[in-house]
This record gives sequence, structure tokens and C-alpha cells, in this order.
Amino acid sequence: MRATTLFMTLWATATLAQAAPHLDPGAPPLATQQAAQAENRARPASVGATLQSDAERALRASFDAADTAHRGTLSREEAQAGGFGWIANHFDAIDTRRAGRVSFDDVKRYLALRDAGTATK
Amino acid sequence: MIPSPSVRRGVRAAAAAAALAAVAACGGGGSGSTTTTTYVDANTYSAAAGASLSTPNENTAVTHRSLTLNGTAIAYTATAGHLSALSSSQAPEASIFYVAYTADGAAAATRPVTFFFNGGPGSATAWLHLGSFAPRRLVTGVPATTQALPFPYVDNAESLIDTSDLVFVDAVGTGLSEAIAPNTNQTWWGVDQDAAVLRDFVQRWLGVNGRTAAPLFLYGESYGTTRVPVLTRLLETAGRRVNGVVELSSILDYNSNCSVEGGAPTVDCAGFLPSYSAVGSWYHLATAVASDSDADIATVTRYADSTYAPDAATWLASGALPPADHVAALAAFTGLSAAIWDQRFDMDYDTFRHHLIANTTLGVYDGRVSALVGSPLDAADEPSNSFVEPGFTAAIKTVLPDELGFTTPSTYVLSSDAIDTWNFSHNGRSMPDVVPDLSAALSLDPSLKILFLGGHHDLITPFHQTELDVARLPAGAPVTLHFHPGGHMTYLDDGSRPLMKAELVAFYASATGAP
Repeated sequence: MRATTLFMTLWATATLAQAAPHLDPGAPPLATQQAAQAENRARPASVGATLQSDAERALRASFDAADTAHRGTLSREEAQAGGFGWIANHFDAIDTRRAGRVSFDDVKRYLALRDAGTATK
Repeated sequence: MIPSPSVRRGVRAAAAAAALAAVAACGGGGSGSTTTTTYVDANTYSAAAGASLSTPNENTAVTHRSLTLNGTAIAYTATAGHLSALSSSQAPEASIFYVAYTADGAAAATRPVTFFFNGGPGSATAWLHLGSFAPRRLVTGVPATTQALPFPYVDNAESLIDTSDLVFVDAVGTGLSEAIAPNTNQTWWGVDQDAAVLRDFVQRWLGVNGRTAAPLFLYGESYGTTRVPVLTRLLETAGRRVNGVVELSSILDYNSNCSVEGGAPTVDCAGFLPSYSAVGSWYHLATAVASDSDADIATVTRYADSTYAPDAATWLASGALPPADHVAALAAFTGLSAAIWDQRFDMDYDTFRHHLIANTTLGVYDGRVSALVGSPLDAADEPSNSFVEPGFTAAIKTVLPDELGFTTPSTYVLSSDAIDTWNFSHNGRSMPDVVPDLSAALSLDPSLKILFLGGHHDLITPFHQTELDVARLPAGAPVTLHFHPGGHMTYLDDGSRPLMKAELVAFYASATGAP
């Protein structure tokens, strides 16, 4: 492949220059890049439903962090104290069963209903 | 004199008290009377990974000034000092250095507050503080490299102080910010850890300054555009509404940016092609485009998406080059010779900027800045940074004591080694993708609005890559994108800064409307 030889030369030209200050944004270490490359083959950039799933993963992590008792549900007070004040602020709308505790699925249900309501505006 | 914390808390009501300030100094800018309450901070702040501060303080230096914008004088207070970020259990996390510019006499509940963050990770926020939209700014003349040192520090006709209070924040282990014992700087050196401690700082600043009801804006640059989406999600999760996010020179997904890859490349560089074309046309080397006009950029962007992206994917997968007329088209769009494209078809910015012009290095941050190989400006292989960095490094050393009254024996660290031990993992990936963070924040708060800004000639966070990453958000997402001539620090361009100011004013108006 004729592409390869001079590419290596060009690369050497670029990297043999004098030490530059840290770039911003700077690249993670090579090992991190390679780990990411392997992950990305199995999990390409998310869009649509998979983006929503990625977003939910982040929110669920915050929910689980607030759920220090590992009950799978949060009271209004636990949500507030655990850094998920958004749940506390919307508690009554999320807790449609008036159980005094809400699950992450309750949160998802509330968001879906709210978005449906928004869509029909 | 050493002001008590109550002096700092009282700054919003301090206009009348200013006349009584014990220490008065003359202003250097000719912008009306200046009074300063100085503070000498004896702490020695460190940006080392293992550093850990045991004697945090929350004292500040306070300066009163006035800036005239469009014929209207705006009296403002500049506050420089530290405030501790506290955990939910009130445990001290980090002593964060900030400089806040607040308009005197404004309504605390309706006047927006904007927190600014540079990136790195490991970069202090002196770039945004001294170069962008604060009431005073450094004159650089970029992309020319003729402005002599020291860069003049002048009243800023494009300051955002007419629209928002402005708080410039140094992340932990940059500037004069340091972790509080038993934490070390390393404790907060990760995508999630950094956003969490900055969330706690933002909440604390708003609380201490009586601004919990104020419209809230977050402004990130470079890695700051990775930081701010995570911070936005965390604040929204905590129940603190964020009205608007400004992302300048964005890297939303490290996995999609081909410049991140130092080893065997796997990601196509189609997001970079319009920037290569803008730079090539700047040097009058591109033949298929005349300039970086909207029409020319649209033409090359269409080609990048329709033809170059699949061609580059094929080359990455098999090494096979496309038909010669495709290579010729790339040469015509950029001015980079077909022979170089043949060798490195998935074109990384380092190859481009070292081979566009013989014996010449172009800047990564601003491809319009060039230097002959071996010349002083080429010494660090990055002429655009080499031209501005000495001016910013020198200026922060004089602005803090001479303009803002804050004196310390510590060295303000413009660039630390945080990146060397930074934890890049985030949301199940080894390298951060923060598009899901924006998506989650928009899910919690559909009234959140996002503005993306950038420069056509920035070769490290190219504007079309931002467009591609943003396109992952659902149709109808409340995002606005504006790109202008300029580099990574687009505000340094004297033609583009006024355009950005106008776009920011319009954005703030839209984002502070009724939810």
C-alpha cells in the first residue's frame, strides 16, 4: 500500500518537533485512546433511541447515587439530600400513586408524559 | 487591609460605600473613578496533583469601576478571591479562585449570572477572563503577529457586562484554585469529579451572593465545552435551572474528533475539511473556493459529508484511495497538494498544518498564524499559541494586583499538568461523549437553550465537527450555531468579537424569556 510509507515519515515530522505546551483540548494517553477505539467499534456514537438510552444512563447513575439505602426508590427528602433536587421539585407530579417514594421508572414515565404533553401544544 | 467576608457579601450594595473605601487607587483605563479594597493572600497555592490546601480563606479584593458602552455608563464591581466548594454535607472540597464582574444596583433575581470556564483539562480561565467579554480585555491584533508586548489592556467595547454578571472560574489545579485537605487536586481531576466540584462551587457562589433566583448561564471553551454539558446536567439534576449554555470551540465527543487519535487512526476527518479549506483560502492556495464565505463553506461542507467522509472511511478500512478526481477535488478545496492527500488521505491537522506551505508551520488554534520552520515563533511548533501566550501569562501577573487589588506570593498557573493524570472516563466510555449530557439536561429542562460558537480557522476543534456532533440531538433541539472568521479563541479576532457579542445578546434574550 503506497499510502503507508510516507505517512510514517510525515508522522515523524510532526512528532519530532520541540516539546509543545499542553494542547487544549489535549488528547488522553494512547492507552485510553486505544481502549476507546475498541469500545467505539462495539458502540458507535448514539443517536435517537440509543442517545436517549445514553442520557438515561447518566440520570440513572445520579438516581442510584442518591439511593444510598439501595431500595430502588427515593423519597422527596432522600432525593433532595442525595443531589437529585429535580426529583424533589417535581415529586408530586412523578409520584402519581401517592406512594411517597418514586422509582427511576416513575421518573421516565413522568418525562415521557410531559414530552407527549409538550408535543400536543 | 483585609476585608472580612461580609465585605464580599455586601458588594452588590456597595456602590455608596465605595466612596468610603479605605484604600483608593487610580484607574489605569481612563474609565471613570476607581476604588480598590486590596487583599494580600498569604496562601501558597499549588497546581501539583498531590497538592492539598489546609488553610483556605474566602477573602476578596474588591474594585469599583465604570465602563461606558454605547454611551451608557455601567458601574460595576470586580471581586477577586477564593470561595470554597462544599459537598452536600458541607464538607470543604476545593478553594476555587474566581474573578466576578457584577453591575452595581441590578436586580439580583432577574440579572443573569454567567460562569466562564476554559478547558485543558488543566487550563486556567485567564484566556476568557482577559481576552473575551469582561469589562476590560487584552489587545492582541490576531491573526497579525505584530502587536508588541505587553499587550494593551483596554476597556472592552464588546463586554457582556451590559447583559450579564460575569464570573471567571479557575478549575481545581489551575490558576490559583486548589483542593482542600483531605482532598488533593487529583481528587477532582476527572470528567465527573471536576463537574461535581464546579457544580458545588456554582451553587455556593449563587447562595453566598444572594443570586439563587438569577437566570444562570454557563460558558465553556475547548475542554470547557466538555466540562459545561456535564456541569449543566448535574446542576439541572440538583434542581438548579440553567437558562443557557454557550459552547465556544467545542469538543463534545472525543470519540468523533480525529485529532484526538495519536495512534492508528479509525475516525474520519470529514469534520475538519471545511476548516482546512478556510485556512487554504486564507493563504490564497485553495482554487475551488475563494474565501470562508458562507457560500464557500456550504460548498465544501457538502463535499465533506457526501464524498470525503465515505472516501476516508474506505481508506481507513482498507488503505484504498478513491479515484484521482476525488483527490484533486480535495487539493482544490484546500490548496494542500494531491501528493500529500495520497499519503495521508484521512487528513489530520498536524500533517495539514506542516505541509500546506513549504518550510512553514501553521497554528493549531488559528491556522491563519504562521511561522517559518526554525523561526522563534515556531519554537514550540505552535505559532498561534506562541504569539499570544507570553502576553496572557504576563498580563495575569499584573492585572490581579494592579487592576484588581489581589496580591499573592503564589504563581498563577495558566497551564497545569492535570491532563497527564486526568480521568477521562465518563458515562460508560473511556473517552467522554457529552452529547448525552446535553440530551439529559434538555430532558430535565426543555427550556434550556444552547449556543455554539467557533472560528473557521480553528484546526483543533473544527466547526463542522461541532455541527456533526450537534446533529445527533433530536430535531427541534433548542440549539443555535454561529461560526466566524477566527481561531480557537475566536473572540481575539477584532472583526468577529462584535458579531459574537451581538449573537450573545440575542441568545440571552431568548434564553431568559418565559419558560
